[in-house]
Amino acid sequence: MSKKRVVIIGGGAGGAILANNLPFDEFDVTVVDRSPYHYYWPWLLYVAFKGSRKPMKREIRELLKPGVKFIQSGAHSVDLGNRKVILENGKVLEYDHLVIATGSRPAYDMIEGHRKIVEKYGDYHSSEENARRVWSTINSLKQGTFAIAVGGDPYRCPPSPLEGVFLAEEFFRSRGLRDKVRVVFAVPYPRPYPAEPMNEVVEPILEERGVEYITFFTLDKIDEERKVAISMEGEELKYDALVVIPPHVGTDIKISPEDVLTQDRFIQADKFTNNIKGYDDAFVIGDASAVPVAKTGVTAHLQATVVARRLQGEDARNNGRTNCPFDLGYGLGTFVISDYNNPVVKLPPSRFSHMAKLVFAAAYWDMIKYPELWNPIFDAYFEATEPAKLRRIYV
Amino acid sequence: MTENKIRVDARGMACPGPITELVKAYRNAKNGDIIEVLATDPGFKPDVEAWIKRTGNQLVEFKEEGGTYIAVIKVTAKK
Repeated sequence: MSKKRVVIIGGGAGGAILANNLPFDEFDVTVVDRSPYHYYWPWLLYVAFKGSRKPMKREIRELLKPGVKFIQSGAHSVDLGNRKVILENGKVLEYDHLVIATGSRPAYDMIEGHRKIVEKYGDYHSSEENARRVWSTINSLKQGTFAIAVGGDPYRCPPSPLEGVFLAEEFFRSRGLRDKVRVVFAVPYPRPYPAEPMNEVVEPILEERGVEYITFFTLDKIDEERKVAISMEGEELKYDALVVIPPHVGTDIKISPEDVLTQDRFIQADKFTNNIKGYDDAFVIGDASAVPVAKTGVTAHLQATVVARRLQGEDARNNGRTNCPFDLGYGLGTFVISDYNNPVVKLPPSRFSHMAKLVFAAAYWDMIKYPELWNPIFDAYFEATEPAKLRRIYV
Repeated sequence: MTENKIRVDARGMACPGPITELVKAYRNAKNGDIIEVLATDPGFKPDVEAWIKRTGNQLVEFKEEGGTYIAVIKVTAKK
């Protein structure tokens, strides 16, 4: 029997985990990525607000199991009907199964004046360089208003805007500047965290720490000359330094047929199987998909394991589980846990959850490389923390 | 001016929640456009009502059909 050819576009969390979960005797696996590196994106938070110098990227080639082929090239186009991927280097790859795992990327053209303030104050959803700029920004601000605003949806990691707020507040307090620096958070939602049960956990903490927040603020433009952010309804937010969570868009690969893409270039798929709409031999996993789930590594990871099992003939299905670690500052944390059938659990802040987040970060590369070790650990973890179970404890 | 109808399916979304899908559609819309959001999250109704009240856009219809909430919104408040 000849091996099935699997082409995976993208060597990030979803793509690498999938590649490493497919047995060689059955599959001929090729991973394609424009970049030679896999980034552990959650670390941008600590580069921005803790000044971390811990390396946050590794070579994709080094993370893939021996036997998985890696081609460093962007994909130019995908022809779903003819099962072909055309690479930017001109090479054509034919496949039996295709998995698109290209993630999402910040878009800076939706909000007038956005680019200018990223160059000035940085952000923590794009690059190490921009995250280091945030670190300089908070280190040079000695008085005035430090604002973080959610620029629009979607963006990677739903807790990340508030994590930045909590860590910034902790930073200014630790420097003895909290009476001179106001920390302000602006969101387009009715409350600081969009999912209500988690908001019940975090809103009291914002109040306790004196963080001001503005709700229903849909950012329209930024006037850096006057130092104001302006909402679509004309409301103004005055700042001295402003960090905006950029709205993200999907893939830049040309895909035919085009109607599998949404307006903002995310790929439509079945939320249980990750099959691209209308194609049983092509999948999209992680941030690149338009499936209504959080854009986060855990989603990519769980979808990758479902697709790996489906490719091996099992009827595996996603349950929409989220498990987003949430840094609350001062060594406290929580997790945003939910699935398709259960709303977000009201998990109280704890040192333990914060520790779990950091332990995960410390073990990340090992988790990507050795699924035979980590799959049983994750299976046990996800079972022990099923939202239906936790909801009975934390009401 | 052409009016668009934007349909958003946020069924099954618990986190970050269907309100984030509405906000996304709102950014891309212009005055006169209709946004229709489908959701199953029980918190969706009060959120839409609060959002309408604060932003000043118009709620044309809110209905429930077989466990799915459907909000039909007309964008009117953009400056």
